[in-house]
Amino acid sequence: MAKNKFKIFSSLLISAILCASVIAVYAQRHPSELKKPEPIKFTPPSIQKFNVGKGILVYYLEDKELPLVSMSGYFKSGSLYEAPDKTGLASLTGTVMRTGGTSKMTGDQIDEELEFLAARIETGLGSEFGTASLSCLKKDLSRVLEIYADIVTSPVFSQDKIDLAKNQLKESIRRRWDMPMSVANLIFNEKLYGAESPYARRTSFSSLDKITREDLVAFHKKYLAPNNLIIGITGDISSSEVKNLLNTVFKDWNPKKIEFPPVPAVKDEVKRLVYYVSKDTPQANIFLGHLGVRRNNPDEFKLEVMNYVLGGGGFGSRLMRELRSNRGLTYGIYGGVYEGRDRGQFAIGSTLRAESIGESISLIEDIVKSMQADLIKDEEMEEAKNYMINSFVFNFESKAAILSQKIYLSLLGYPEDYLEKYIDNIKKVTKDDVLNVAKRYMDTGRMMIVVVGDKKRFEKPLENFGKVEEINLQSIIDKERTGATPVK
Amino acid sequence: MKKSIRMSKKLGVYSFFLFLLFFSVSLLFSQDIESKVKIHKLGNGLTFIFMERHEVPVFSAVYGFKVGSVDEVPGITGLAHLFEHMAFKGTPRIGTSDYEKEKVVMEKVDKLGAEISKELVKGDLANKEKIEKMKKEMAELEKEQKKYIVKDEIDKIYSNAGGVGLNAGTGTDVTSYLISLPSNQFELFCLMESERMKNAVLREFYTERGVVQEERKQTTEAVPMRQLSEVFTAAAFIAHPYGHPVVGWASDINSVTLEEAAAFKSKYYTPNNCVVGIAGDIYPEKAIPLIEKYFADFPPGPEPPILRTTEPKQLGERRVKIEFDAEPQILIGFHKPTFPHKHAYVMDVVASILTSGRSSRLYKDLVKAKQLAVSISAYSGPGVRYDNLFIISATPRFPHTNEELEKAIYEHLEKLKVEPVEAKELEKIKNQIEASYIRSLSSNFGMAFRLMREQLFYGDWKNMMRYKDEIIKVKPEDIIEAAKEYFTDQNRTVAFLLKKQKDIKK
Repeated sequence: MAKNKFKIFSSLLISAILCASVIAVYAQRHPSELKKPEPIKFTPPSIQKFNVGKGILVYYLEDKELPLVSMSGYFKSGSLYEAPDKTGLASLTGTVMRTGGTSKMTGDQIDEELEFLAARIETGLGSEFGTASLSCLKKDLSRVLEIYADIVTSPVFSQDKIDLAKNQLKESIRRRWDMPMSVANLIFNEKLYGAESPYARRTSFSSLDKITREDLVAFHKKYLAPNNLIIGITGDISSSEVKNLLNTVFKDWNPKKIEFPPVPAVKDEVKRLVYYVSKDTPQANIFLGHLGVRRNNPDEFKLEVMNYVLGGGGFGSRLMRELRSNRGLTYGIYGGVYEGRDRGQFAIGSTLRAESIGESISLIEDIVKSMQADLIKDEEMEEAKNYMINSFVFNFESKAAILSQKIYLSLLGYPEDYLEKYIDNIKKVTKDDVLNVAKRYMDTGRMMIVVVGDKKRFEKPLENFGKVEEINLQSIIDKERTGATPVK
Repeated sequence: MKKSIRMSKKLGVYSFFLFLLFFSVSLLFSQDIESKVKIHKLGNGLTFIFMERHEVPVFSAVYGFKVGSVDEVPGITGLAHLFEHMAFKGTPRIGTSDYEKEKVVMEKVDKLGAEISKELVKGDLANKEKIEKMKKEMAELEKEQKKYIVKDEIDKIYSNAGGVGLNAGTGTDVTSYLISLPSNQFELFCLMESERMKNAVLREFYTERGVVQEERKQTTEAVPMRQLSEVFTAAAFIAHPYGHPVVGWASDINSVTLEEAAAFKSKYYTPNNCVVGIAGDIYPEKAIPLIEKYFADFPPGPEPPILRTTEPKQLGERRVKIEFDAEPQILIGFHKPTFPHKHAYVMDVVASILTSGRSSRLYKDLVKAKQLAVSISAYSGPGVRYDNLFIISATPRFPHTNEELEKAIYEHLEKLKVEPVEAKELEKIKNQIEASYIRSLSSNFGMAFRLMREQLFYGDWKNMMRYKDEIIKVKPEDIIEAAKEYFTDQNRTVAFLLKKQKDIKK
């Protein structure tokens, strides 16, 4: 690659006039000329762990840079554990915990006081875990922590704020089909896990109508307990101060036994079909795939490298390179085999030129097959590993990120030394490993395809890719809006 | 690491105005920051600003050229953004395996591409057969060129070095380039970025035009609020170039040529029109010799042309609507001055009073109490280099309509004209602005970006500390004065998104 730069310099001066692609010319360099830099030296700060109150586990790191404190509490609970006919209960509980007030203050009073202090407390529940976070100036910590503890331990779920949250959720139900990519995503999830599955079921007007204040109170009471809370805290505060303050605000909060209801196992009933949703939109939105793998899979590092090369590494991945960079068919395409609590997803998604959808689907299938046919190239392996190893330090860029990462890994059941061994585990992956996991976890013969768009624009009929089932969005909309219509 | 899907490269068009609220500083920190920040200006005008943070061995670099869609004229809208994409294509040594051979083909590609564009802009009068023939020829030539191209080599080099967040963004006012790297890779950064600035080769221009066309569809035409915003902004500005979209009109993206891109670059991509912000584990005294080595020979250019057009005074309300396969939304805008006009600060305070947080006036009354809306926000846009708009964006809650929500918003604006804001409410806003500022200091990227932007726009990064002083000076009577001046019917533009008739059910 190294060339006589002066020669290029002079010849280019002339061609620059002819060739508009070259718009300025000076001595040119290439990074291959640089010496390999000394490796960085970095020891991640060691986290202190201790218990406060009656069984709350705390992860703590000091951070004296700014006069701030940030804290996040994590607990196991979520929509997986709600009754199927009350879909939305976990989400409402997570919202109204914060907005519905406590035994000492109304929700509106909490808003006023926190915002005057420029502090934040937010709560929310996802599918498996809930969080309650806090951020404030150091000087206000003891007051903000009092409010935080009341929200976590004794929210009152006032009826007016439940009604408000329900009304807002109903409006989001009315708007959930506005964006074509969300349509593709929701339908893909439904067809992957089944409409009734706790991993795919959606809120509807009628499921919200069935939820009462007592349901929220009971859901909160069942899952919020010191033995189910892990707190990560960092900021300009010492560990003894943290212990004192947390012990004070949580001193009367008692542990209890929590039984998590069983979650039905995912059934693999994915059909090799093309699901078409008609939507008036300028492009085609697609998802292809089938079920993925269970969390803590022994092949996870092999899959991580495989995913990078297939569709997770941005421009370093085959999907992006071919569909965007070589052909200009899309602004972006991503995909890979992902882990989930029970079964994750093998999914490839993109928004692309409607007039080239046939070409694109064929290319995607070919690229998946190419991963299963041959070993990946040396330079692909090198880039994937170099990226993962050399960028690893960015996982430690902020103290809050270090804590949340450690806590999530422990909640998800990963080994204690997961991060410490991460680089070694990536180094061990071979090209044969990548080929094997590509074969084992992806099957183009079983891939379903979801397409959202206007088929009049498609250059090839979707029937070329399998049996087509058209999904009537309007009937879904009519069904999910059956129930009490929102009122003024 | 786990599951982290990297940021999609060149997310492209974005706006910066939301950042503005955070530009303040408490006295305590201004001294502390001054001791950590160092500025170094090269002979060619290129300015570097460093902020030292040594705890983790990484750094973020953000550099901006003062050029954006506001510098475009009809026919080449979207060019600032398209050029930003082209800055990822390499140099005569990066991105190619044999430049001498590639260049021969590339010259043919460029020539033919220009001819196709020339024919295409004739519209119905274009010779379709000729176009088809040329397009086939083009495909062959591009195939030939690909033999020599090392695909996305800039991305590959940075990925191998452990770089994250390689990206760029174009707004109305500035085009910025971003990368974060482990701190042992500072020389690589200098080499790569100086090469991109000095020796860019705009290869694969016509393929990239296609990507941008898809970007436009994906991020504007398919997104209800973005499509509404495009029409709204075009209605609000009839003369000033803030009126056209950053991504450009579709027809312009389709026909802009490589020559135009090259001319645009030479006008605006000069060292004297650029500032580099670097925050993280970098010692300026060690970095400066490297900067001199790599960037000093980037020759300066003339000052970019001054924009002559100013927006004439609005003579009456403008109302526009679009029909879309989506639920209703509203945008309301009022023309107002930008910094350093006193009212620019006053209107930032007004925006906070109205919509910052759950205790803000519009959220409290229209979202929590009356439940006319599910969300509402007020901000300045679309840029800050020139006089801009005070914008209110709101989403009604069914069965309430855009009209009901609009009327309720105006009641609050009227109140601002007659009732002085209470001291406690004003103090809350000031507390929030100060805390936001402190929070913003906690990230390398955030700091690099802010330092760069203040220096580039106002010629002095310390301007970010003056912001707070101006905000603190805002008095209740200033708010009354500004509200009376700008919140008038004549000065207003309103845009409604309405559900397409055929789609209306329930």
